[in-house]
Amino acid sequence: MTEKRLGMLIDLSLCIGCNACAVACKQENGVPLTKFNTWVESWDVGTGEQTRRANEPKLCNHCADAPCVKVCPTGASYRTEEGVVLVDEEKCIGCKYCMAACPFQARWVDDDTGEVGKCTFCYHRSSQGLLPACVSTCVTRARYFGDLNDPESDIAKKAAEAGGEALYADLGLDPAVLYVGLSQVESMPVTSAIHRGGNVVKPLEG
Amino acid sequence: MVWDGIIACYLFLAGLGAGAFALAALAGFVKPDATKLRLAGYLIAPIAVAVGTVLLMVDAKAGLMNPLRFFGLLANFSSVMAWGVVILILFMIVSVAALVIMLRKKSTPKALDIVGLVCAVAVAMYTGLLLGDAPGFPLWNPVVLPLLFLVSAVSSGFAAVLLAAHAGKTGEPEGLGFLKKTGLALPVLEAVLVVALLAVTASVGGSAGPAAAASVANLVSGPYAVAFWLGLVVVGLALPFCLELVRAAQAKKNPEAASSGMAIAGEACVLVGGFLLRYLVIMAAVPLVLF
Repeated sequence: MTEKRLGMLIDLSLCIGCNACAVACKQENGVPLTKFNTWVESWDVGTGEQTRRANEPKLCNHCADAPCVKVCPTGASYRTEEGVVLVDEEKCIGCKYCMAACPFQARWVDDDTGEVGKCTFCYHRSSQGLLPACVSTCVTRARYFGDLNDPESDIAKKAAEAGGEALYADLGLDPAVLYVGLSQVESMPVTSAIHRGGNVVKPLEG
Repeated sequence: MVWDGIIACYLFLAGLGAGAFALAALAGFVKPDATKLRLAGYLIAPIAVAVGTVLLMVDAKAGLMNPLRFFGLLANFSSVMAWGVVILILFMIVSVAALVIMLRKKSTPKALDIVGLVCAVAVAMYTGLLLGDAPGFPLWNPVVLPLLFLVSAVSSGFAAVLLAAHAGKTGEPEGLGFLKKTGLALPVLEAVLVVALLAVTASVGGSAGPAAAASVANLVSGPYAVAFWLGLVVVGLALPFCLELVRAAQAKKNPEAASSGMAIAGEACVLVGGFLLRYLVIMAAVPLVLF
């Protein structure tokens, strides 16, 4: 029996960029205005003849070798037995070292308290056998959630069938968030600015 | 941007304090009677590091609002920051002890100076390693940055002490022969390391490649290019080097005529460059995401 490893798999061919996940997450977790635990990056792709919309939901990757946990001087950032990376706000001094260490920029600082927040895989739900809010609300069921190490779980079956790719796999951080169709989407020519929740985060170059 | 000018100030002051102690200690080995200069160094060292540490705490808002949380800072020694806290505490203890002994006896025990020098090197290099251990920003190279910040710490610490010595017209810096060499060698060494940082960053490949290239472009030709070329390269490195050359030539002709005004100008330039180096390294760094 291998260790439990909670993870998420997102089928990019199903994501329509509706942002229902981002809204459900905010409601479930009371995330402050302008901060996000999960968000969708959207941009146009095309070859000139046909334009399509690429949508890439993002969140904390709950890395097995999490740099944020390594650099946290107070141990406020930690990893649970199920592989979920969490922040104990009571220990956080707000030094933001974890934010500098995270290659996914998945963490944010609360402007009022100075404490750092992030996706918890809805630990208050998932530790009770419920799905994270973003997964249960997804209108196209693009998000799968479960134990990556249990071959009988939905997520493990989907990963085995469709193949799961991690973001920045070459960094060797071993993320628990996988994507179906990631390399196809990222290999398509970008023909618009990249938007995050409707706001431009990277203008189109050229 | 995760960090900003506050952290740049902290990195600058920590390095400056370390360098100031180093000059006071080294001067004690070769010319113990340069007491005013040495006292200036022992005085600047703990003050600069203490002010820097306070800035660090101000930036850590959650800790500032709940100060007891700072006692948890030694909980995780896989974090460079936890080691930094130990190093800063040791440096503060040694440098305050050296200051007190200097004030009382006008000299310091050699053993204390050696321990302090080790702590000073650790403080200076730790500020670079702190950034180097954050894989979110490919500009922060874990090998080059500690060396670059060490050299810059020596430069800026020396400059701060010499500025005080020249402004106070002590005449003591002229008695320290090694300063003629460091005044020329340090800017050259720092320039080489800046080039090395840019070259190493530009050669980063894989997922971090685009952000690394964008960071280099930010400095060399992007929004930080004026501060980089004019501020760091010209004012911070080239000008102090040239002023030192001119002063050396003057001193050869007539040792009495060597202008202390020129020395002060050069030292002020070094300080500007020292701060700008930290500021640019922090502000021009591009995170991996989206690039």
